[in-house]
Amino acid sequence: MDLHRFGDWLAATPPSQAIQASTWAIPTIQSVHIVALALTFTTALLLSLRFAGLGLTAEPLAQFATRSARRIWLLLVVLACSGALLITAEPGRTLFNPAFYAKMAMLAVVIVLTLWLAATARRMEKPTGTQLVVAAVAMLLWIGIIFAGRFIAYVEHY
Amino acid sequence: MQPSFFEWLQNTPVGIAVGETWFPWVESTHVLFMAVVTGSILTVDARLLGLGFRHLRVTYIARRLLPITWIAFAGSVVTGTLMFMANATNYIHNKPFLFKMGLLLLLGLNMLYFHLLTYRSVELWDHGRPSVAARTAGLISTTLWLAVICCGRWIGFV
Repeated sequence: MDLHRFGDWLAATPPSQAIQASTWAIPTIQSVHIVALALTFTTALLLSLRFAGLGLTAEPLAQFATRSARRIWLLLVVLACSGALLITAEPGRTLFNPAFYAKMAMLAVVIVLTLWLAATARRMEKPTGTQLVVAAVAMLLWIGIIFAGRFIAYVEHY
Repeated sequence: MQPSFFEWLQNTPVGIAVGETWFPWVESTHVLFMAVVTGSILTVDARLLGLGFRHLRVTYIARRLLPITWIAFAGSVVTGTLMFMANATNYIHNKPFLFKMGLLLLLGLNMLYFHLLTYRSVELWDHGRPSVAARTAGLISTTLWLAVICCGRWIGFV
């Protein structure tokens, strides 16, 4: 399906029209998105630090990794919902924006890496070197996701 | 006429460089640091309020997380100051900005009261349910930090 036609159709739907007509809806949804982002990023940071033996190390690795991953999945649902609302409100701002697709690509990779970290940590007491490297790469991707997210507002869209 | 301090600030080489070129990068870095500040503080607050991390001692979480909070706070202040310099004459009239600064001041007072007075009795509630004063501090902190994020987002909308 033609992306431009989809964008035009989405922008004309009642939910999109309602958000567009309101002066406070977009900053409110963005604020929810940012709070969820802050919690996700910090949870991911604490998980990655744990593989380096830093931060919250009192719990066994397996338990901590499982708990952290569950929090991240829950928060990603909040981020996906608030993000979907923001796209609905302004399809033209995101659907043709390279920064948005860079963000989604990095998100896809970071999800796979987090799944792998949680799965491999489930059976061990001490982190391995490979896990530490993957945890560091995951953090770089989360940083990239934050930058790409903010750059949606600045990058020229087609 | 003598230029005001804020006009001078905006016309310094740094103010001009951020305003003309670096604003999106500085802003993204600000979001990154802000995410760690609020994420780590909300984690400590969650423990105080009994919403999470109940199996870990309050002093343990505070000792392991608050150094991370302070590093990120320093980063937020530096990036925030750079953003302010880029557009100082407008920000001093921006209501969400002024409100945000007021909230940060209140958060500072809440933190001082908590650490100087409430925290003295931490041994009594380190393992279990925090005292009423500690829970109140956590609730105030959570509420005001969420308000800080909303104000921060609203700065760009007025």
